[in-house]
Amino acid sequence: MEINQRLKIEEVCNPGKSSLLKFCSIKWNQQVSIAPLVSFRIIFGLLMCFSLIRFWWRGWIEAVYILPQFHFNYWGFEWVTPPGNPGMYILFIIIIISTILIVLGLFYRIATITFFLGFTYVELIDVTTYLNHYYFISLVAFIMIWLPANRFLSLDVYFKPSIKRVYVPLFTVGILRFQLAIVYIFAGLAKLNYDWLILAEPMRTWLPAKSHLPIVGAFMYEEWVAYLFSWFGAIYDSLIVFFLLNRKTRSFAYVFVVIFHVATAIFFPGIGMFPYVMIASTVIFFSSDFHKKLLFRLTGDVLLISAPNSTNTYRFLFYKPLYIGVIIYIFFQIIIPLRFLFYSDHLFWSEEGYRFSWRVMLIEKSGNAIFTIKDGDKVYEVNNAQFLTPLQEKMMSTQPDLILQYAHYLALEYKNKGLRNPEVYGEIYVTLNGIPSRLFIDSTINLARQQLSWKHYKWVLPYTR
Amino acid sequence: MKKSMMALIVNIAAISVIFFACSKGGKDTPDPGDNEKFDKTAMLTYYVDQMIIPGYTAFQQKTNALQTAVAAFAEAPSPATQTEAIAALKTAHLQYQQIEAFNNLTPATSATLEYSVNFCGGLTNTDLLLNGFSVDSVTIENNISTGVYNLSEYSNTSFYSQGFPALGYLIAGPDAIAKFAANTANRVKYINDVAERIKVLADKVVSDWGIYRSTFIGNTQSNVGSPIGNLVNQMAYEMDVLKGPRIGWPFGKQSNGQVFSTKVEGYFTGNSIALAVANLKNLKLVYTAGGSGKGFSDYLNALGKQSLNSMISSQFDITITKLEAIPDPLSNSLVAEATAVNTAYGEIQKLLTLIKTDMASATGVQISFMDNDGD
Repeated sequence: MEINQRLKIEEVCNPGKSSLLKFCSIKWNQQVSIAPLVSFRIIFGLLMCFSLIRFWWRGWIEAVYILPQFHFNYWGFEWVTPPGNPGMYILFIIIIISTILIVLGLFYRIATITFFLGFTYVELIDVTTYLNHYYFISLVAFIMIWLPANRFLSLDVYFKPSIKRVYVPLFTVGILRFQLAIVYIFAGLAKLNYDWLILAEPMRTWLPAKSHLPIVGAFMYEEWVAYLFSWFGAIYDSLIVFFLLNRKTRSFAYVFVVIFHVATAIFFPGIGMFPYVMIASTVIFFSSDFHKKLLFRLTGDVLLISAPNSTNTYRFLFYKPLYIGVIIYIFFQIIIPLRFLFYSDHLFWSEEGYRFSWRVMLIEKSGNAIFTIKDGDKVYEVNNAQFLTPLQEKMMSTQPDLILQYAHYLALEYKNKGLRNPEVYGEIYVTLNGIPSRLFIDSTINLARQQLSWKHYKWVLPYTR
Repeated sequence: MKKSMMALIVNIAAISVIFFACSKGGKDTPDPGDNEKFDKTAMLTYYVDQMIIPGYTAFQQKTNALQTAVAAFAEAPSPATQTEAIAALKTAHLQYQQIEAFNNLTPATSATLEYSVNFCGGLTNTDLLLNGFSVDSVTIENNISTGVYNLSEYSNTSFYSQGFPALGYLIAGPDAIAKFAANTANRVKYINDVAERIKVLADKVVSDWGIYRSTFIGNTQSNVGSPIGNLVNQMAYEMDVLKGPRIGWPFGKQSNGQVFSTKVEGYFTGNSIALAVANLKNLKLVYTAGGSGKGFSDYLNALGKQSLNSMISSQFDITITKLEAIPDPLSNSLVAEATAVNTAYGEIQKLLTLIKTDMASATGVQISFMDNDGD
């Protein structure tokens, strides 16, 4: 296998056959220090550990995964159900242990697989808990399964020194940088819209609620501040990756990353761990040399500064399928956030193709949903509070697929109560980015008979300003 | 390096400009409004000094008077003392409507005021028998006959056997006077205990506000659990209670028109509509801050949301008018004046939507009783 690869590299280096693809291939396999992966493994593990404990400590395991009697499923993942009490706590303990193992680099492959599966399972329980950074964590966890991040400064190496490596192919670091680039660039592109840039919504709405902040608070009512925030945010998200990639601007850009995300944490404490996840993750953009020096200073291990050779360089066993896998992964990461283009309706209104697309803090939307069950001449109005938590109700009222899931659940509930053929109607009012609340869906449509679909829901009323 | 960066920024700016030029763009530029600074501390100060503390102090006085009237009735049950006690109960209950909008602020929550004084069962109660403004007369009579009860117990059974609903039953319920003939001492003790507990809790809330006042006006945040966040959330909750336990549920909105006339607020005193109107009028007062220029309505104006403000104001007025059009006692009107009740219900729903979505959105307040992450 190794010979095969070497042959390939020689082939690539043959000047007669030079092409962009081959240049990429060389770059792709270029040997770089393992240090960035090691730093990332430790930082990511610690952050996840803290993040999960925080979630528990705030009582959210119970509030979000144990108390609700109904959960909004992801299509195709209906089989994901919360393991109840104490199952849910046990699951969290397992995931927390896996984060600690990741930090220590012990049973790394098992730990990353456990963390990925465990964390993703928890996130799949209820759509209303969807957050972009949870999705990001799942993706990074998936990537980390395949990375040799435990081949240095880990207990795995301590117990089996023969697996120690100090060089890895560049693409192992590159894939993490790619993932972050996707987050930032798509977050930036998402902001290039009329509401955000021209109306400065939702910043115009959100900032006056921050007038309590010291010093800057007094400016929160000023219109230009809303524009400043909107435009700065859009430019920052769209471009920061390029400044992070450029060696000359990198440190300057990282200062910006820290300032920007700390500012968002101060202004919008509701976004939780997101700023810290981004501040921590972007260290992957620092050069391999930077990480190598850091690690060398930390460990004093001279192997780190030795020249790459066949014994200290990590090689993937099944590199061909792996390469194909990476290319497929990259393809989907680009396609998924763009799928909204296949829907004709206003994205923020119907939210078709909205999730999994790095649309962070992008719109101010809220709704009030009143459901009525009809069966023959019988009419029952639904008390949502009886079936949903306030968080679930809030999320459901503005998202068509969740409205439909809930309507189907209601049909079933009322059937169980003895109704023969319950029809479900929704009178739902939604306000988006400051437009007055208006009817969101056709209130004369029996939602019980509408199917979940990837296609546009015709019963969602068209958006008008 | 700097040059290349500048070039990049200029490029992007240029691309952005082209992007807007090409997008449909600017047909209705938003009303800039008078984006003058709004003084949230002044708003909270107005609420605490003009509405909250005076409201609770008046409530305290009226619960004192209620306790005296109840004691007189219990000592010598007669139509005359009964009339006095009913009047005192109605007065205190009406005054309670002036402070219910502040029920989720620390002094009231720490005293469990809502549960112990005017329990409405909450919005999630699925008990088929005891829900809404039910009175648990079985438990009350049982408490009296055994003489064993603990009114500070934190349970629905306990909440449904004390407070204004229990007093209504004990003072104005069927054979209220005659029932004193049997087990007199226990009955006298129970009715006095219930009246005293209301008064004690009122005392506690009044004294707690003396301490909490500075915390309240010192926090002008809008997040979950902040004073502003709580005030808006409670407005939404009050509307939910009006839509559900106060009007909609007894009216049979959730039960295919099956009416629950005994589950209206103030069933035995027969003044449900008067109570609901007082409650809603007070809610409007919270919204407008009595025209002082310091209320939520003024905050919306300061945010350039004049049209939303006038929509909410007029919806308050319409809803109050439609509520007032229902004659008391509501327990009769649920059937006899079904059209009037239904009309009022429709208006309540509209007002609820305006407060829960538009107003909460505009003020940056999350309608939620739970803190959570969101992005």
